[in-house]
Amino acid sequence: MGLVAIATAKFLGSFSVFLFLTVLLMVVARRISTSVLLFSLQSAIITAEVFAMGVREKLAAAYVVGALVLLIKVIAIPYAFFRLVDRLKSPRDVKASTTPTQSVFIAGAMIYLSYAAVHSFGQTVHVPEDALAAAVALILTGSFLMVSRKKALMQMLGLLVLENGIFLAALITTFGMPLVIEIGIFFDILVGLLLMGIFTFRIRDTFDHLDVSKLRRLRG
Amino acid sequence: MILLLPLIFALLGAVLVLGFRDRRAATRAALTIGAFEVASLGALVWQVHRQGPQQFGRYLRADGLSSFFLMNIAFIFALVLVYASGYLRHIPEGRFSSPRWFYALVFLFLFTMVSVCLSANLGLLWIMMEGTTLASALLVGFYNTEGAVEAGWKYLIVCTVGIAFALFGTIVLYLAAVQAGMNPAAALDWVALMDAVPGLGFDPHLVKLAFVFVIVGYGTKIGFVPMHSWLPDAHAEAPTPISALLSAVLLNCAMYAVMRYDAIVSRATGPAFPHTLLLIFGLLSMVVAGLLILVQRNLKRLLAYSSVEHMGIIAIGLGLGGPLGLFGALLHTFNHSVAKSLLFFSAGNVRHNFGTLRMDSIGGMSRTLPQTSAALVVGSLAIVGLPPFGLFISEFAILSEAFGQARFLVVGLFLVMLSVVFGGFAYHLLRLLGGEPAGVPSSPKLIPSEYAVMGIAALCLLVFGARIPHLFGVFLQEAIAVMR
Repeated sequence: MGLVAIATAKFLGSFSVFLFLTVLLMVVARRISTSVLLFSLQSAIITAEVFAMGVREKLAAAYVVGALVLLIKVIAIPYAFFRLVDRLKSPRDVKASTTPTQSVFIAGAMIYLSYAAVHSFGQTVHVPEDALAAAVALILTGSFLMVSRKKALMQMLGLLVLENGIFLAALITTFGMPLVIEIGIFFDILVGLLLMGIFTFRIRDTFDHLDVSKLRRLRG
Repeated sequence: MILLLPLIFALLGAVLVLGFRDRRAATRAALTIGAFEVASLGALVWQVHRQGPQQFGRYLRADGLSSFFLMNIAFIFALVLVYASGYLRHIPEGRFSSPRWFYALVFLFLFTMVSVCLSANLGLLWIMMEGTTLASALLVGFYNTEGAVEAGWKYLIVCTVGIAFALFGTIVLYLAAVQAGMNPAAALDWVALMDAVPGLGFDPHLVKLAFVFVIVGYGTKIGFVPMHSWLPDAHAEAPTPISALLSAVLLNCAMYAVMRYDAIVSRATGPAFPHTLLLIFGLLSMVVAGLLILVQRNLKRLLAYSSVEHMGIIAIGLGLGGPLGLFGALLHTFNHSVAKSLLFFSAGNVRHNFGTLRMDSIGGMSRTLPQTSAALVVGSLAIVGLPPFGLFISEFAILSEAFGQARFLVVGLFLVMLSVVFGGFAYHLLRLLGGEPAGVPSSPKLIPSEYAVMGIAALCLLVFGARIPHLFGVFLQEAIAVMR
């Protein structure tokens, strides 16, 4: 067994732990910029996971997907977020509606819940339980970030975390979808973020703030 | 090749109209390209009818079911485009709210919806479904008022999250197919899936899990309760032609996606599981939306909740299955879109005449705005399912199927909610039309283009109530044949 093979095997066995760490840190982060950095880190872990899969399964397409993830999620999106935070000139805290302590407990409960949820499916799909639980935990915490953070930017970030979870689930269960479809999904995410960026400017210009919990004109 | 034409024209339209700064020039360009678009869609539908399913490459395909929905799209799109040509004179010009941007986005929106119906691949179907959200979000926020921006943001976020769940469902189905031994390259192709499902033993747990995520995901776009929160806001705040497109075409496209999955899952696990889910969502949507109709104060929100209710009716038809249930559901997608377009067109006239859609500040419309009132009455009579309009036939078919299967709970709820909705519409309509005239309409006469589209829609409703045209009936049977 070569050194690369050992390294990939080690990484594939332990990457879930790192993902759980990013998730726990993300729910206690107080500043938008910290959350964006953590998202970038999380995507980097997933990139490494894609490459490790490519080495183990000898899939050429995995390198293309890995390069795309690296380029888009680790570099381009976080960069765009920092630019957006700068340009919007709004206060930089995330405006959480739960205290950090509560958030950690909720995130912990969600990780436990993910293990419980995948337990029955672990046997049928023949994948390591940890990996699948990490994917589900990302989906759950992404949703949690979306409902518990009041800033428009944090909702976008929560959506990205949720999307990371879905991507990870596809990766570990099926080694990813066909390449064309994968690229199409990336394209959709990019355009979606672009539109949300446009809307954050419009929200700020029409309402003078970015607190989406105060958008309550339409009811009933 | 014929599959590519409608896609090319739609994209071409989106690019070309951007070159026209003047409102009239942009309108003329949009109408010209729109005519080509509708013609190419017609040719495609005809080709499918004459030669059977069409395939282009690995990713595009059209069969009876797709061409039934494409026909629906082409008809409503033609009406909306003609209506928009007159309506745009009411939209104040802004940096991005210019006519050319409006038309460009409409063509992009159309492109994504046509692609949804032409996808041969469930992954591509998902990509295009997300594309419909992206293309229409800016249209929903087009007026750039507080309400429009809020509705646009909500639409974008809620639908993107919903659609993300559908992606997860797609992946789970893909996983089930790959595990059952299908070639990964073909495991998202719905024809291959339909063929492979009976032979290969798909893991029923995975297939069911996939369907749950898909119906929640695409159900968000259909507007099933409780995922409907974006729908009334988006419909009420969007410019009227867009409200009509959202309600009459987009919701049907999402329903089309669910129907594809329903067909596959029914083959894999038996129809009981997916059909029960459809029935639950259908009844829930019908009951909740029907009750909310009673308390609405804004005309377009009222119409939006009525869309939720009708999507519920269609889901009930699909959930019942059987020859009449499927027939009723498919016919209802068409009837509902015609009636709802007519109603939204009337609501658009109300808005620009009184500058508001709040029903308590409008009264005596039958005297001040007689033509629009007539259209509103015809549309409302049709939408509550009274004869002699088309919706009566389709609702009756669904109801007979429920009776035939002795599902008396479904029958009971269905009938109660139909009466509640009838009461709600009658109450709101009487207050709008009767009483002392409030407010002076700015331009009470309809212009010829508005006359034409509203006349065609009303006539279509009447014709379908009397008798389904022969050719349409054939198309309908071809669509039903695909689902069995």
